[in-house]
Amino acid sequence: MFKLCLMTLLVVLLSAPAPIAAQSSGLKLPPLKKIKLKNGMTLLLMEQHEVPLISFSFIVRAGAVADPAGKEGLAGLTAGLLRKGTKTRTADEVSAELDFIGGQFSSGTGVDYTSGRAEFVKKDLSRGLDLFADLLINPTFPEDEVTKLVKQSVDGIKAAKDQAQGVIGVYFNSYLYGNHPYGRATNGDEKSLAAVTRDDVVKFYQTYYTPSNTILAVVGDFNSTEMEKILLDKFGAIPAKTSPALNLPEVSAAQGKRLLLIDKPDSTQTYYRIGNIGITRDNPDRVYINVINTLFGGRFTSMLNDALRVGSGLTYGAGSSFDQRKARGPFYISTYTRNATTEKAIDMTLEILKRLHEKGITEEDLKSAKNYIKGQFPPQIETNDQLASLIAQIEFFGLDERDINDFYGKIDAMTMADAQRVIRQYFPLDNLVFVLIGKSSEIENIAKKYVPKIDTRSISQPGF
Amino acid sequence: MNPVKRALIIVTCLSIAYVTAQAQQLQIKTHTLKNGMKIIVEEDRSIPNVSLYIFYRIGSRNERPGTTGLSHFFEHMMFNGAKKYGPKQFDQVMEAAGGSNNAYTSRDLTVYQDRFPGSTLELIFDLEADRIANLSFDPKVIESERGVVASERRSSVDNNNFGILFEQLWATAFTAHPYQWPVVGWMVDIENWKMDDLKRHFEMGYSPSNATMVVCGDVKAEEIFKLAEKYIEPISAHAPPPPVTTSEPEQLGERRVSVSKFAQLPLLMLGYHVPQSTSPDLYALQVLQTILFSGQSSRMYQRIVDKDQLALFINGGTGGFSFDPTLFTITAQPKAGIQPEAVERAIYEELDRVKTQLVGDQELEKAKNILLANFYRQLKTIDGKANTIGSYEVFFGDYRKLFSAPEDYSKVTKDDLKRVAQKYFSEKNRTVATLIPEKPQEVNSK
Repeated sequence: MFKLCLMTLLVVLLSAPAPIAAQSSGLKLPPLKKIKLKNGMTLLLMEQHEVPLISFSFIVRAGAVADPAGKEGLAGLTAGLLRKGTKTRTADEVSAELDFIGGQFSSGTGVDYTSGRAEFVKKDLSRGLDLFADLLINPTFPEDEVTKLVKQSVDGIKAAKDQAQGVIGVYFNSYLYGNHPYGRATNGDEKSLAAVTRDDVVKFYQTYYTPSNTILAVVGDFNSTEMEKILLDKFGAIPAKTSPALNLPEVSAAQGKRLLLIDKPDSTQTYYRIGNIGITRDNPDRVYINVINTLFGGRFTSMLNDALRVGSGLTYGAGSSFDQRKARGPFYISTYTRNATTEKAIDMTLEILKRLHEKGITEEDLKSAKNYIKGQFPPQIETNDQLASLIAQIEFFGLDERDINDFYGKIDAMTMADAQRVIRQYFPLDNLVFVLIGKSSEIENIAKKYVPKIDTRSISQPGF
Repeated sequence: MNPVKRALIIVTCLSIAYVTAQAQQLQIKTHTLKNGMKIIVEEDRSIPNVSLYIFYRIGSRNERPGTTGLSHFFEHMMFNGAKKYGPKQFDQVMEAAGGSNNAYTSRDLTVYQDRFPGSTLELIFDLEADRIANLSFDPKVIESERGVVASERRSSVDNNNFGILFEQLWATAFTAHPYQWPVVGWMVDIENWKMDDLKRHFEMGYSPSNATMVVCGDVKAEEIFKLAEKYIEPISAHAPPPPVTTSEPEQLGERRVSVSKFAQLPLLMLGYHVPQSTSPDLYALQVLQTILFSGQSSRMYQRIVDKDQLALFINGGTGGFSFDPTLFTITAQPKAGIQPEAVERAIYEELDRVKTQLVGDQELEKAKNILLANFYRQLKTIDGKANTIGSYEVFFGDYRKLFSAPEDYSKVTKDDLKRVAQKYFSEKNRTVATLIPEKPQEVNSK
C-alpha cells in the first residue's frame, strides 16, 4: 500500500527529455560513441564502470504502426517470439541458457517502435552476447510457438479487461485517434490476434528487422574499442537491407466534445480519461510543456492531485500526461472515483483545466517545478539499463545528446511568458475527448451531462 | 561430469565470492541516537542525489479487529501537517526544493521514503523531525484522507480480481494471527476508525526507538549523524508497540474459499504456511521458489504455461521478509476454457516432484546464479540500497546479514530442497482460493 502509485503521474517525466548527473549548471551525458556499420545498423556505446553489469537496449523502427489492418498485434507477437527458437537453439534451450547465467532478456512493442533489453554480468558477457545476438539475428518462429503465443495473447486481452485501470488507455487512444494508426490497440485485440499466422510473423520480421532499421545501445563496464570489435563480429556480417519507411498521416486535434462510456457492470468506481491530441517527441517546446504539466498533473502537489485527492478525498490519485511520439501523441488527464462522486470529480477536473487557462501559474510555481524536475532527474539515468534505453530512444527520434545536455539550461531559461504561451498552445480547453469505464446503470446520465449524445460499448465486447 | 558442466560450476563459485565482495564494499557507517533511533549511512556519489528511508517497526500485525488498516491510514496522515509545516506543506516544501517522497505499509512495517538532491539535506531533516515530534490531527483532514484511502482500497482490492482473491486467501489461511486482515484494512473499518484510534496508534508506533533511518547517496556520514543529533535526538523515546503474542495454530486440513464475480477469466491462488524470515529454512525456500517460478526455464512455467498450456502465467513465493510465520503463495490465471482444478492438479504434481526427487545439479546452480544476479541488481541504485540495507537491519536485527546472503544461498543443498518441500507443501497445510467468473451480462452493441 503506497502513499501514491507514481506510475501514472510520472509518465511524462520518464518519457521526457532529460540530463545526467553533475552540478546544477550543467548535466552532461557521459561520452557516447556512435558507429554506423556498413550494413546500416547503428551502434551506440557508452562506458560506465561503476557496476560490473552490461546492458543492451535495441530498437527496431517498426511498432504497432506497422501492423497490417486486421492483424493488429503482429509487431508485438513477433517481438515476443524472438526468444522462442533460433537456428541453433530451441525455446527451452534459450531460456535454460539465459536463466543459468542469471541474465535478463525481454522484448515488446510500443506504438512507434519495437524494443528490447538484455543485461548480463560482465564475466558472462561472451555467453550472454552470443545468445542475445542469436535471438535478434536467427529466430525461426516455430509454428507451435506462434500458435501458443497467439492463444496466450488473446486470453491476455480478456484478462486485462477484468481490470479497468489497465485497459483504459487502449480504449482512450482508440476513441481519440479513430482510424489513424495511433488508434490501434498496440498489442492487438481478441479478433486481430487470432488472425495472425506464422507467415505474417516471418514476413514482418524479414521486412522490418533489417540492419538499417536497427539501433543497438550498449552501456556498462567495457572498453569501447573492444566492444566495437565484438559487436562488429556479431552483427557486421548481416547482409545490408533496408525497410520501407513508415509514413504516419498528420494528426489534428479533435474538435468539440465526444464521450465513450464502457460498461463494466461490477465496477464500484468510474475510471476516466479526458484529453486530446498532444505533442511529438521532438516538439521544440517539450521542456516547457514538461514544466507546466508537472504543475498541472505531474507530481503529488500538482493542481489535479491537490484538488481531487488532497483537498477533497475524491480519489487516490489524479494526474496528466503527454505521451510523446513520432507523430503527435495523446494528452490526457487520468483519475478515478467512486460511482456516486463521478459527477463531482469530472466537474472538478474540468474546473482545474479551466483555471489553468484563466489563472495560469505563479512565479513561485515556476521555480518550484524547475527545482523539482532537476532534482528528480538524476535517479532516472542512474543505471546502465536506464541509460541504454534512453540513448537508443533519442537516436530513434532523430535527436542527439543535446536533448539531455541542454535540458537544465532550457529549464532555467523558461519565463512566465513561455508558461502562458505553452498553456494556451498545448493544453486543450473546450475541445475534449472523454472515455469512462464504469457501471453504466449508475453513471450514464452523468456522462450525458458533458456530451448529450454519447457512444457506448460493453467491456465484454471484443476489441477496443 | 562433462567438462561444460564443471566449467559452469566453477563460474558460479567465483560469482558468490564476487558478489559477497561487492556487497562488503558498501561504505556503511552507523550511529545510534540517545533516543534509540539507529542511523545507517552508505556514501555513494554516483549521482548527486540521496535516498533517505525511515523504517518504523509497526504494520497491520500490530492492529486489532475494528481498526484494521490503521497503520496504513496513519502512513497517509504523516503527510498531512505538523507544527512547523502545516497541512499540504510537507509535500509543497519538499517538492519546491527538488525532493519527492512516498511511503509504504506492510504487515510488519511502515516505511517512509524521501528522494532529494544532496543540497537539501538539512531541510529534509527539519521536515521529518517536525512530523515525528509534532504531528497534528485535524478532523477535517482526517475525513478527507479517509476518502483517499477508501479510493485506494476500491482500486487495489474491490476493483481488482487479484486483490479480492488475495485478501480472501489470507483471511482464510490465518484464523488467529493478525496476518488474516488486509494491510489496507476492511472497508467498514476504514469508514469507522476514530480520532482516538489514530492518536493511540501514533503514541504506540512512532517512538524514535522503534525506528531505523537509512541514508544512501551523495552525503557524508558525519554530516548525517550531526543533523540527526540536531533534529531527531531531542525527540523523546517512549514504549514501543506491545509484542504480538498471538501465533497461528497449526493448520489441520486443507481450506478452500471461492469468490464469484463478473470476470472473463478465473483465477487460482494457493497459500502454504511457512516460517518467518529468521528461520534457517529461509534460504532453502528462496532457492526452491527460484527453481519453481523464476524465468521461462522454471519448472512451473515449463509445465503449466508452456507445455500443458493451462495458464496464462504462474508465479509464487513468500513476497519478501516477515517477522512472523507467513504464506508461500502461488498465483495462476487459467486460460479461457480451462478449469482452475486442472491447473491445481498440475501444480500439485510439480510440487510432488520436488518432494520426492532431488533436483538436478545444474538446476540448483542455475537457481543460485539467478538469486545472486538479482541480489546484486537490488543494489544498483541508491534507492534500492537504502531499502535493502534497511530491510536486513529490521528483519534480521543486523544489516550485516546482507553480506552473508550470497554465502547463505550457496550453502543450500539438494536435500534441503527436498526436505523443505516435504515439510511445507502438504495438503493439510494449504489454502486454495478460486475466483469463479459469473456469466457476463448480455453485450450491448453500439
